[in-house]
Amino acid sequence: AMDHAAADPIRWKMPIAFASKLPGLGSPSQYVAKQLDAASGGDVQVRVFEPGKLVPPFDILQAVSDGKVAAGYTWIGYDQGKVPAVPLFAAVPFGLKPWAFASWYYWGGGHDMLQEVYANKGFNVYARLCGVIGPETAGWYSEPITSLEDYKGMKIRFAGLGGKVLEKLGASVTMMPGGELYQALQTGTIDATEFSMPAIDQILGFNDVVKYNLFPGWHQPFTAQYMLINKDEWNAATDQQKALIETTCTAATMMGLTEGEYKNGTVLQNFQEKGVQADQIPRDILVKLQEVTREVLQEEAEKDADFKRVYESQREFQEAYKVWDKRAYLPADLGEEQ
Amino acid sequence: MSEQQDPSTPPPHGGVPAHHTEFPSNPISGAIDTVIDRVGFLFSWLWVVVVGVILYAVIGRYAFGQGSVMLEEIEWHLAGAAWLIGLSYTLVSDDHVRVDVLHEHFSLRTQAWVEMLGLLLLLIPFLIIAQDSMIPYFWSSFLQGEESQAPAGLPARWALKFFLPLAFGLLLLAALSRLLKCTTLLFGWPRPRRQDNTR
Amino acid sequence: MGLEEYFVIGMFATFGVLLFTGFPVAWVLAGTSVIWTAVGLIAVDYFGADLWFDYGSSLGLLAERIWSLVDNITLVALPMFIFMGIMLDQSGVAERLMTNMVKLFGAVRGGFAVTVIVIGVLLAATTGIIGASVVLLGMLSLPVMMKHNYSKALAVGTSCATGTLGILIPPSIMLVLMADRLATPDASVGDLFLGALFPGLMLGAMYVAYVLGLAFLSPRSAPLPEDLPKITPEVIWNVIKAVVPTAALILAVLGSIFFGFATPTEASGVGAAGAMLLAAMNRRLTFKVLKDSLKQTTRTTAFIFAIFVGATAFAVVLRGLGGDRVIEDALLGLPLEPTGILMVILLVVFLLGFFLDWVEITLIILPLVAPVVQSLGFDLVWFTILFAVCLQTSFLTPPVGFALFYIKGVAPPEIKVTDIYKGVVPFIILQLIGLALVFSFPGIVTWLPSVSFQ
Ligand code: NA
Ligand code: NA
Repeated sequence: AMDHAAADPIRWKMPIAFASKLPGLGSPSQYVAKQLDAASGGDVQVRVFEPGKLVPPFDILQAVSDGKVAAGYTWIGYDQGKVPAVPLFAAVPFGLKPWAFASWYYWGGGHDMLQEVYANKGFNVYARLCGVIGPETAGWYSEPITSLEDYKGMKIRFAGLGGKVLEKLGASVTMMPGGELYQALQTGTIDATEFSMPAIDQILGFNDVVKYNLFPGWHQPFTAQYMLINKDEWNAATDQQKALIETTCTAATMMGLTEGEYKNGTVLQNFQEKGVQADQIPRDILVKLQEVTREVLQEEAEKDADFKRVYESQREFQEAYKVWDKRAYLPADLGEEQ
Repeated sequence: MSEQQDPSTPPPHGGVPAHHTEFPSNPISGAIDTVIDRVGFLFSWLWVVVVGVILYAVIGRYAFGQGSVMLEEIEWHLAGAAWLIGLSYTLVSDDHVRVDVLHEHFSLRTQAWVEMLGLLLLLIPFLIIAQDSMIPYFWSSFLQGEESQAPAGLPARWALKFFLPLAFGLLLLAALSRLLKCTTLLFGWPRPRRQDNTR
Repeated sequence: MGLEEYFVIGMFATFGVLLFTGFPVAWVLAGTSVIWTAVGLIAVDYFGADLWFDYGSSLGLLAERIWSLVDNITLVALPMFIFMGIMLDQSGVAERLMTNMVKLFGAVRGGFAVTVIVIGVLLAATTGIIGASVVLLGMLSLPVMMKHNYSKALAVGTSCATGTLGILIPPSIMLVLMADRLATPDASVGDLFLGALFPGLMLGAMYVAYVLGLAFLSPRSAPLPEDLPKITPEVIWNVIKAVVPTAALILAVLGSIFFGFATPTEASGVGAAGAMLLAAMNRRLTFKVLKDSLKQTTRTTAFIFAIFVGATAFAVVLRGLGGDRVIEDALLGLPLEPTGILMVILLVVFLLGFFLDWVEITLIILPLVAPVVQSLGFDLVWFTILFAVCLQTSFLTPPVGFALFYIKGVAPPEIKVTDIYKGVVPFIILQLIGLALVFSFPGIVTWLPSVSFQ
């Protein structure tokens, strides 16, 4: 075990896109940094830089690819404007459940496709899945949704492909920054907003100002974060260092997912005790949302070959998985009928 | 002390008076300043456009219930272009804020020395370093054909990123113009314009 | 002391010294970052210093960091409020508003300054962008106060200090960023907004009390307008005629936010449109006036953004040289009692406020000390508001009070930085008294959140 000590120790700066205190979304970055340091005995050191301290969140990919920083930890969907296919790896409306997405990523060729997607657009990065969280909520609403008509003229903050779906349904969609949401909801500048999962939403205090927290999070059944590593830095690492990083990220994925799952129930129950209506979006509306989502995804697929390839691979897996998914799990409401 | 003014007359200089030292101009500085002054003035009209877009967004949301992701992006695209270009415009009109505690007691020549050394040792190196990251930053965005990260947003995000190297290029020109004004005062080179009427 | 400590102190010292050469603040910040990048690189490359410092992750990131100032819709409010202020000034309505309000105050000395504070508090409820509110208030009020022979210090101190209230009185970008960094439901955005309301209003009231007291004790610093009419129905009617349009505009801005027609960013644009309308109604919206106003908007906006540009360069180099760690280690190594630790933290924040801007202080210190403070059993909302008041004060503290630079940029030429420094001193003392009050009576913060949303 002495020979590896001769290898260059790794000392990487790692800017992140979400505060590391945010459960599931940001916390895995700190887990990775701590575990790598401990497991390598100080041979692999990664220093986390909170959002905005070094690299603005939207530019993490570019900065890593340019080698300005060796690594980054981010929600890669931010780079949709540069790499059209990345949303499929970050959050897909009516997409897979978190563990099913991980299955596709680890076993269904997802990991390799992601490397190709980046390389095809000229990015010099190695990407590794390093965190998944469960569904977001469908958002916070001042009024319940009872029909598809309710989306017409609704002023809603909605990010990503889901936002495009709602625009198609006649909603007035904005992307206003997180900082303005609380007040905008309070004054009625917007009627609704999506943000994240309950354990995170509670920090923004949405439950203080509107009472309808709707489910399921059709627009984001899973949300994945990745560790992006400059390709040259990655190639320069020893096999031992590489194995350590990959193993740690795989562990971080599990830790992040379970952290959110562990906390959300309690938070949601707490919301309900404060008078929040945690309602389901009616099924017929979900069906229609899914239809429009398929249209939107199809449009994206026609614009970008990588998007098409990845989307088809995911759909194929989703179809094959369905028969198992539908029957294998216990119904969540089992035992509730008294 | 304070001039008595008819309240019906607006104060001069658009409410904000000129509060700076005038260095003598020379033909090169004069030409640079004229160009930057015109470009800056042209881009100043964007503020009216931004006001218009905001009104349209606010009214549109209520009158027609239409989406505003694109309008929001237009707002900050226009504002961003305007203030980036404004950086050099403001340097030419010498409106960047100074701590004048000691400065105001300096003689004109001392002020010119401070200005020249400041430009040579602080601002110009900074601008060159800035270009070193801005040109590749724009260029990679252009090659990637970068668009908005919002599916309903604007295309050609790279076009706005072009304003980074452009604005800092103009800033470099403006700094050069100011530098030459200092050398005109201190060393008589380039020769001053006979009739100095830059402002 | 280690190398990092020397570097950090050296960087601040360089900045402080160069600032007083009178070279523009923005470019002194930028230039200091260049000098210390060179020092850092030489230390690492030639002397093998053990720093995590390189060019790529410091000044190499300039494009990304400056782009994030462009890619920020919240900052659009800055030029819009500036344009609104210039338009109001150009159209003469600002002066009419001020002089007429004073007629109503009648024999109250210091009426102009009180008016500024009232407008400032209202403005604070619409925007949280310090640059916008300080510049707007300065443009509205300094020419009028100078014309009526107010002491420069009082005039500039009042508009400067009142302008900083915007970051404390909700809505406030600062409080949102703090909630984000704290990332705990114990101090959500809503809690912080409610918690900040009374301290913000209290500070405004203290300013008013101070102005009235000073005007009473030192009549020369706030002379009464000479041709002050007796209050007759006719005077009141004239005042109403003069005040209503501007008041309507301010209400339009505030109202469009309160009633949800517009976001704060959009409201700034609504305000600018309204100011143009007022100018047109007063037959002042000539091509020349519009042209001059637009040019001035560009210059004022650009000098503020230039400071942002310089500050972001300074911050990334300071961070690269280990600035965060130096400050962290110093804070965490304190051997003190709980209350002592709290006071030292606030003192450190206050002192850092002399050199760093609030974003940097929030990023570096708040996430670091909040868990410590909470584990000591203090209320997190209360602590965060104390922290926020400290930061608000830091905008006023020389040499690097950003509000001081903003006001300098729009002040008449006879107002020197020295006048500004003198002018803010009493207000800094008021801020410290306010801080002490909030410290001694936590209920000022905690009461409102405790009775809401239950
Ligand atoms: Na505010
Ligand atoms: Na300060």
